Amino acid sequence: MKTRNDKIAEAKRLSGADGCVECGRCVAACPMAEMYANFSIEMSPRGIIKKTLIGDPVVEDQNIWYCTECNAGTDTCPQGVSCRDLIRKLREAAVSENLLENAKTCKCCGRMFVAIPVENFVYGRLKDEPPNVFGMLDICPPCRREMYLQRNA
Amino acid sequence: MQEPVNEQDFSLKLDDLRPRAPEKKTLSGYFMPPRHSFILFDPEKCTGCGACEMICSTRNTEKVAPASASVKVVTDETQGKTFAILCQHCRKPLCLEACPTRAIEKGKDGIVRIDRLFCTDCGLCTMACPAAAPLKDPKTQAIHKCDLCEGDPLCVKHCPENALTFTRGKAFRWIKGLRWSVQLISFLLLVMVFVGTFCYFKAGEVTLACPTGTLQNIASSGAILLIGGITSALALLILTILAGRLFCGWVCPFGFVLDLVDKITPKKLGWPAFLKSRMTKYGVLAGAVGGSYALGFQAFCTICPIGTLCRSYGVQSFFKSAELAIVPALASLEIAQRRSWCRYFCPVGALLGLTATLRLIKIVIGAKKCKKFSCIQCAEVCPVGIIEADQLREGISPKIPMTECIMCMRCIDRCPYDAAKIRFRWQQAAPGEEKT
Repeated sequence: MKTRNDKIAEAKRLSGADGCVECGRCVAACPMAEMYANFSIEMSPRGIIKKTLIGDPVVEDQNIWYCTECNAGTDTCPQGVSCRDLIRKLREAAVSENLLENAKTCKCCGRMFVAIPVENFVYGRLKDEPPNVFGMLDICPPCRREMYLQRNA
Repeated sequence: MQEPVNEQDFSLKLDDLRPRAPEKKTLSGYFMPPRHSFILFDPEKCTGCGACEMICSTRNTEKVAPASASVKVVTDETQGKTFAILCQHCRKPLCLEACPTRAIEKGKDGIVRIDRLFCTDCGLCTMACPAAAPLKDPKTQAIHKCDLCEGDPLCVKHCPENALTFTRGKAFRWIKGLRWSVQLISFLLLVMVFVGTFCYFKAGEVTLACPTGTLQNIASSGAILLIGGITSALALLILTILAGRLFCGWVCPFGFVLDLVDKITPKKLGWPAFLKSRMTKYGVLAGAVGGSYALGFQAFCTICPIGTLCRSYGVQSFFKSAELAIVPALASLEIAQRRSWCRYFCPVGALLGLTATLRLIKIVIGAKKCKKFSCIQCAEVCPVGIIEADQLREGISPKIPMTECIMCMRCIDRCPYDAAKIRFRWQQAAPGEEKT
């Protein structure tokens, strides 16, 4: 049984977070700044990397659930740190400790497929669309493809 | 006096950097609507071989790796079903709305593209897409979405079973041209050439009469006096039994006026909900017949917009009749909703609707051929609003009430996927559902 510290250590190793030089390029490239009005240094990839490195409690932190797991920060990092992989591993650690309030699970298969704040952003963008769009948002993309097959073929 | 504090937010947003131009409807675009290309998939022919995935991945990664393709073949082993998940290049793409960096744009040629410069591969487009068509490459985590190979799709060329076809929809919307010319000719004939024709027309042995007018005539005179009058009224009813309310959509001169008014009032204000009952027109019909019986003359005919329009032409009657004011008054209802008079009030349409319960044909829209979220043009162009867009989106073939349908055939004309068709009443199958 892995402890939480083991998991964080593994996340650091896999994402190369130790190499972070705090240049802030990932923050500049991060689409979260555009998505959320309350974007802050704690929410930004640099803030989460820093928190992980100095050993603050990061797994319980709500801020790890705002990330869309995009490639922007990973692509732009001069040190090859993958903030995407780090946040993914931190979320995995949080889910294994039953910190599930921000994880959205698929209605069909039960897989966790998106974080609630990210989903709320999509809801906000699609608020003018017909309401049955939102029933569709409860289903994860692979299940949605399966549903599309059943309806059309 | 203190200066008011300006609390305006001066920070730049992506909307300022990448503004989205509003859609402009030009005159040439109206007569020659742009025909956007798309790939049609036929599940009957597909064997699930995956050739499309392989050839598509060579375009994305320069090697054959089906996982990094922009098309995904989903198979159901238990039922033997296969389906290729492809970007449908929606008319109103949801991915475009959801993209946080505005990387997705719909070009003038109708192709929905991802701008690689702005894309961060976050996958929110996959979240927003009803078919989850933008695919995430499991290795590089990049998003791949079909861009139709800029008009020459490889998958279509390499499909061994020809299950994929690249089309641009119908070349020529002939029903539209035919309907407008028939409407114009019948307007000219009914209103200008044979004045008052619609209400009562006699040429030698042939007599034609408005069925609602005949009903009122019978009610007001209190006896079935004119066997000839009833048979002449039957002509329109027989047409309705054969072809639905074809009169309303193609012949009615007031309907033509309403369609013209609709052209100049594209923005609709909406109709108050408490008046939204299609049963009202049957009430108006009953009221017209009952009123004629009580008053002793054809009560509704004096204010009937079709009748006033038909009787209006000519210098004499044009100045004489104040009743002509009824036409612009009722035509102005068009501001609220398309064909609102026909939907809710017209007693002539009500009688034809009652007759249409005996109709021989129906309009069906097959949900399997329909591309659902990407299109829903039929519900938009339907002037009486009887096509349920929500049902189509959920994959159910909507039941079209033929008592309400005015047989304008706009849905058939518009559908690029041949999902809307005319069928005989006893034929159960909708397009795409013939083989079950």
